[in-house]
Amino acid sequence: MITFDHLSKTYPGGVEAVCDLSLEMIEGETLVLLGTSGSGKTTTMKMVNRLIDPTSGRILIDDSDVMEIDPIELRRKIGYAIQHIGLFPHMTVADNVAVVPKLLAWPRARIGERVDELLGMVGLQPDDFRDRYPSQLSGGQKQRVGVARALAADPPIVLMDEPFGALDPITREQLQNEFVELESEIQKTIIFVTHDVFEAVKMADRIALLDAGRLQQLATPAELVESPANEFVDQFLGQHRFQLSLLTTTLGSLADQLDIASGQPVKTGRRLHARSSLIDALDEFKKSRRRELPVYRRGQFMGNLRKESLLTLIARSLGEAGEPS
Amino acid sequence: MSGLWEFLHQRGPTILECLGQHVYLTVIAMALAIGLAVPLGLVLTRTRRAATPVIAAIGVIQTLPSLALVGLMVPLLGAGPKACITALFLYALLPIVRNTYTGVMGVEPAMIEAARGMGMTSSQILFRIELPLSVPVIMAGIRTSTIICVGIATLGGIVNAGGLGLLIWIGIDRSNDALIYEGAIPAMGLALLLDGLLALGERAFTPKGFQLARQEDREAV
Repeated sequence: MITFDHLSKTYPGGVEAVCDLSLEMIEGETLVLLGTSGSGKTTTMKMVNRLIDPTSGRILIDDSDVMEIDPIELRRKIGYAIQHIGLFPHMTVADNVAVVPKLLAWPRARIGERVDELLGMVGLQPDDFRDRYPSQLSGGQKQRVGVARALAADPPIVLMDEPFGALDPITREQLQNEFVELESEIQKTIIFVTHDVFEAVKMADRIALLDAGRLQQLATPAELVESPANEFVDQFLGQHRFQLSLLTTTLGSLADQLDIASGQPVKTGRRLHARSSLIDALDEFKKSRRRELPVYRRGQFMGNLRKESLLTLIARSLGEAGEPS
Repeated sequence: MSGLWEFLHQRGPTILECLGQHVYLTVIAMALAIGLAVPLGLVLTRTRRAATPVIAAIGVIQTLPSLALVGLMVPLLGAGPKACITALFLYALLPIVRNTYTGVMGVEPAMIEAARGMGMTSSQILFRIELPLSVPVIMAGIRTSTIICVGIATLGGIVNAGGLGLLIWIGIDRSNDALIYEGAIPAMGLALLLDGLLALGERAFTPKGFQLARQEDREAV
């Protein structure tokens, strides 16, 4: 659906921001553009909605070159949430969310309904928040409105430029979790820019790691962490490798190595899933204070996992990914 | 008290008449200046290359001594209110053009980019985002111009345009301090009054949410 075809951008003065980038997105996926500042990730994203025009190469959306689409039309069809929030301070929450529907001249009643629906979706009580101004919101609330605004006209594609960058770590994590959940419901094709590798791993279906305008690796979070394509990727992950692998490794992928006692599921309110990461599993053990928890795959009981087996497994993986061995 | 009463009874009508003429000169000149300078300032934000030379050219008018400017208008337009209003109008342009331009240019770039990214056209960005957010700066320019105009309008007294300047000029001519005060004090009062009214206007025109945001910024400092 979105195809980057030998895309390059050289700024006046000769800085090569993006260099010969080719990749094909899958409909409905969340692609994270990951890299340090100056890696070209934001430039790449802004070429999609033509805030920046490429020097050479093309971006195709459903087989049409974006350079041949009127930029105003194009942008109204692509959701956009930016760094530093970018809410308009002189407009109420409702007016901010309604910007694009108003540009598209939706009927009033439909806009009102949509605003309420979206506010509900991002966890803000419409009656409470509709008429507030951005300065009357907390950082996390502003960011939620920013997300609602990007989704307002129900665009198939959404661009997000470090949307959670300005938040404190706790609010940030909460919003990330909620967004992952929201994202699985709304099924959008999302390009998400971040410099935070943990955020990337959490949000992404696939990660495109960029350095100095060049694509270093395009892979799922697990692949990226387990098999870095080159030395740069290896160094970029650096000391975070171990923590990241706890995030990207799922119980399901280790089913054969796990000592999962079969029999009857232990009786407890909590359960683990094949898609739970090792971190999630640790977290569940900590919260439940149980020594054993049942593991399910798509609702099917797989067996009980003992805390000791999990810890042994993690200790074993330390030798491979964590320490210089 | 009876002295004051007598004074007002005797001089009041003359002072009021001059004050009326003064208000007339100032208000007409300011209305014309706002009508030209605000749109011009906005146009300059869309043709940025022209901004520096145009603002510099308008600035040149400002360097001309006001007495000379008013005097130069007389051969062109004849002595009378027209010459005085034209001079005031020219003098009032610069602060308004400059503040309109810098006000709009000073809107946070992230805000503009958000607006562009959502598909607003250049004129939608101007009228829905940039203009509402630069109201306080534009109004500051208008207030500056108004105070300058009230002062310079006293030169109307020497080009047969009337106004409070007439009392001052006669006072100077006859070495009569009382007459100078009769002109100067109402002029000061008028400047303060108009400035106060414009401050109220500024509050009314500044969008509510933006006022709240500015308040918050000030408190944060």
